[in-house]
Amino acid sequence: MTTRAQFLDRIRAEMGKTRGSFPSRVSERPARPVEAADIIRRQLAERWPDTLERFRTEFERVGGVFHRVATASDIPRAVGAIARERDARDLVAWHAAGIGADVEAGLVSEGLAVRAVSLGATDAERRELRAASATAALGLTGVDLAIAEMGTMVLRSGAGRPRSTSLLPPCHVAVFDPSVLVESLEQAGVFLEAWHAEGGDWGAMINFITGPSRTADIELTLTRGVHGPKEVHAVFVEGGLRG
Amino acid sequence: MSEPELATPFRERTGRALGDRFLQQALDIATTKFIVLRREAFENLPEGDRLRDRAREIKEATLQQLDRHLDRLIDEIERRGGHVHFATTAEEARAIVLGIARRTGARTAVKAKSMATEEIHLNEALEAAGVAPIETDLGEYIIQLAHERPSHIIAPAIHKTRGQVAELFARELRRPGLSDDPEILTRVAREELREKFLAADLGITGANFAVAETGSVVLVTNEGNGRMSTSLPRVHIAVMGVEKVIPSMTDLVVFLAILARSATGQRLSVYTTLVQGPKRAAELEGPDEFHLVLLDNGRIPQIAGPLREALSCLRCGACLNVCPVYRQIGGHAYGYTYPGPIGILLTAMLNGPTSVKDLAHASSLCGACADACPVRIDIPRMLVTLRKEVNEQRIAPWTERVAFTILGKVLTRPALYRLARSFGRIAQRPFARDGAIRRVPLAFGEWTRSRDLPAVAPRTFQEQWAELERERAR
Repeated sequence: MTTRAQFLDRIRAEMGKTRGSFPSRVSERPARPVEAADIIRRQLAERWPDTLERFRTEFERVGGVFHRVATASDIPRAVGAIARERDARDLVAWHAAGIGADVEAGLVSEGLAVRAVSLGATDAERRELRAASATAALGLTGVDLAIAEMGTMVLRSGAGRPRSTSLLPPCHVAVFDPSVLVESLEQAGVFLEAWHAEGGDWGAMINFITGPSRTADIELTLTRGVHGPKEVHAVFVEGGLRG
Repeated sequence: MSEPELATPFRERTGRALGDRFLQQALDIATTKFIVLRREAFENLPEGDRLRDRAREIKEATLQQLDRHLDRLIDEIERRGGHVHFATTAEEARAIVLGIARRTGARTAVKAKSMATEEIHLNEALEAAGVAPIETDLGEYIIQLAHERPSHIIAPAIHKTRGQVAELFARELRRPGLSDDPEILTRVAREELREKFLAADLGITGANFAVAETGSVVLVTNEGNGRMSTSLPRVHIAVMGVEKVIPSMTDLVVFLAILARSATGQRLSVYTTLVQGPKRAAELEGPDEFHLVLLDNGRIPQIAGPLREALSCLRCGACLNVCPVYRQIGGHAYGYTYPGPIGILLTAMLNGPTSVKDLAHASSLCGACADACPVRIDIPRMLVTLRKEVNEQRIAPWTERVAFTILGKVLTRPALYRLARSFGRIAQRPFARDGAIRRVPLAFGEWTRSRDLPAVAPRTFQEQWAELERERAR
């Protein structure tokens, strides 16, 4: 078996023979990404309605369904309406910390059977979550970034934030507020740099989600919901989440 | 392991493709659609050209310090509890994957579409070792059920009709009387594959990129099968060519902005998944083990080789769609894992120049591929280099070598050229008709089997030019 040292040595040997004839340039990265992200956030705070409008247009273009509510206490009613339209009852939800609001009681009073994810992680819980996620009709998550340019939502995995909540149920509902809106993929790049620079572990998985799952593999006919959700809803909370 | 298509000579493979009326129609519709979607996507991106330049410069800069970036990538993945393996050959890569499968007692593996695992013929090896590989990209699933090979990098089953898919599903999945509505066929595939995802032991994927600084392996999919394969099974193995590494997240977003636009005309594919090692202790889901297999398989020698530029390829398929040869013959006729203009270069990289003695000529050198390439790879230039190499290694037929050696001498010596012109006018008399020679005699007849040779004109351009010059002087 080839070892790391042998493998890299061979690469170095070949690099030594090159003449480096093509133009090359590394990207200019933000020197202080955490501060750069803060600056972007502050600038965008003043003009979020424009960013939101762009997000909405692009999100709908890729087949997403947009909703808007005034405060976090309106979330259960919006989710309840989505569920009733689909005759759906079973819902898996991220932990309140991941969504940015505690909506469990509200969802229950909307008549939904809610499996809210805990922050702990025992084997029994793992099995139970797998079974619940595989059969749930709805998955409710928070959003870490909403990119207006392409109608994309970025979700980080972690404690209380299972990866499959936005994947296994046929309908994914994501809740977000003005604080996570960015204009462009380039700005999202600054946030990715910032999350990394903040140190510590930034999660085992990050997903960029741009509309419902799709394929065109049979005669180029666009079909939704091949493996992931057939429907993706974004619920915008104007008054903000997380307190 | 061999490529089954190669049992038939290249000329016969192309002849078969050209005679297949459905394939011709399917190729025309698919490639034209991809071309239009790509053009529209870039029209809406004013900074597109700048981003393409940047992407190429990043790839080149990364290659110039490839050892350093890989070193960092390995450190970051190991720091997060992942494992990195090193495969010099396809055989070694297969052995690594099989070793992991054996140790973990795996019986089934769900696979997300990956050219790297196609390239190393992993499925056959898994089957032989008693592990059932299940392709989960809808297109790949279809061709796996049909025991065929992909015909396009991003649309593997474009050569099949909906009727053929319905028949295939009805037979293989025991669902008689299945409608040929793509919506229904897709639902059937969802049901079948959902069970497999939930029960699989291994998730095997490729990687579109790996970000060195953060130890992230990046997968881009539209269906969600990449997410399933990296979230549900207890072990995730990613197989990736060494050239896929890029330095930072700032670099990644540059590539994401052009990749989907070039491939399908989307601004971004539905899912972009960043995997950073195995499941964390506090997480309820995700694999217990994460493995990255770094693959050489002919890539490393090209760092200083004539095909270096091809190491920047993103596998978007844009060059296939615009290629006048691919548009006629489709992916299968190429005979190897990677079809199209870039495929010829990658085949030469993986299997040596002898493997492309015919393929090196399966291009009109029109340059459409270089125009479409998101990272501006000069494919025609390298195809010419390959032709030269094929010629020098004496793998071309002797008639071709003799003809081109003579032609080379004649074209570079004006006096000899004029002499040949006069001689040609006389020699061509029995064969030339309407300004073309339809059949060259003797062993050189191969040249005119599928094309005409232009006859020497009664008055050549040079002769006319000289005459005009003389008139002007008077």
